[in-house]
Amino acid sequence: MQQTDHELLLQMLSGDEEAFTTLYRRRQGPVYRFALQMTGNNMIAEDVTQEVFMALISKTAKYDPARGTLASFLYGIARNMVLRRLEKTAEVEDYAGPEDILDDLTRRETIEQVRRAVLSLPPVYREAVVLCDLQDTSYEAAAQVLDCPVGTVRSRLNRGRFMLAQKLAVKV
Amino acid sequence: MNELLRALAENDRDRETPAAVELRLKAAFRKKYARPKWPYFATAAAIAIALFLYPRPKPQTMEVAIAAPSVPVLPAANPAPRKVLHRKPAREVVTEFYPLMDDPPPFERGELLRVNLPASAMRGVGLPVSEEHLDDVVQADVLVGQEGLARAIRFVGNRP
Repeated sequence: MQQTDHELLLQMLSGDEEAFTTLYRRRQGPVYRFALQMTGNNMIAEDVTQEVFMALISKTAKYDPARGTLASFLYGIARNMVLRRLEKTAEVEDYAGPEDILDDLTRRETIEQVRRAVLSLPPVYREAVVLCDLQDTSYEAAAQVLDCPVGTVRSRLNRGRFMLAQKLAVKV
Repeated sequence: MNELLRALAENDRDRETPAAVELRLKAAFRKKYARPKWPYFATAAAIAIALFLYPRPKPQTMEVAIAAPSVPVLPAANPAPRKVLHRKPAREVVTEFYPLMDDPPPFERGELLRVNLPASAMRGVGLPVSEEHLDDVVQADVLVGQEGLARAIRFVGNRP
């Protein structure tokens, strides 16, 4: 039977390297992709992922299972780090979008257009879109990560999608 | 809109942290949770016991009074030449020094103490010892630092 994240964490904190490896391999992908989709930068995503797990190793970040899942906890640490990075870096250029992207762009180009459009959203909407639409996180889990009520997640998500649709000139 | 976002999510699904990050994190994990190896402690304990049980001999001086001979001593006329057997002194060979402390304070001064230890102590620093010789007594030089702790050890053997 597969061990839960919390069981692995406890074993890891008692010095079990195998438990750490299992936990890392299970959770690094979503953390990395979240940071990548929030920043659009591979290097930052790599740094953020490393810092998230370093915080876990060094016990500077303490997980309380009563407050949510470990996955949400890791997203939460990643989110704080990403927001700090975003404050330091220049704002992403606003993306206006072409007249009709579906006519003349290849799929690959379309994906990159969408990525740029997501990156151009204000962080408060971007994180809702990244978590709920790109990472398939539930509204409840996203609310834990974003430290806000579920209703706020929904409204931010709707607003974010609307802004994206305008940028990409497509129907919602 | 949903299709476009789904296409982006699908495109990124397999993107993961480079393997180098896992290696760096594992190195950090080992550093954080490293446990001293048992043989390492066993050697240190054996040395501590040896130092405790066999205190260092103090150099002894002896006063010798030389009295004048009562009978004149005559030199021997022709002492018969004696055949002297020259036995080569056993040549001492030593191993390199093996550290006994993970993160020692800066070395200022110290002493090198020769002690007798069970051969099993050699295993503690990774030297091979066969099972039947584990209880043999071997000589070792222990480097004791200014703070009185054993910092390093080398083993001594004799080559005929």
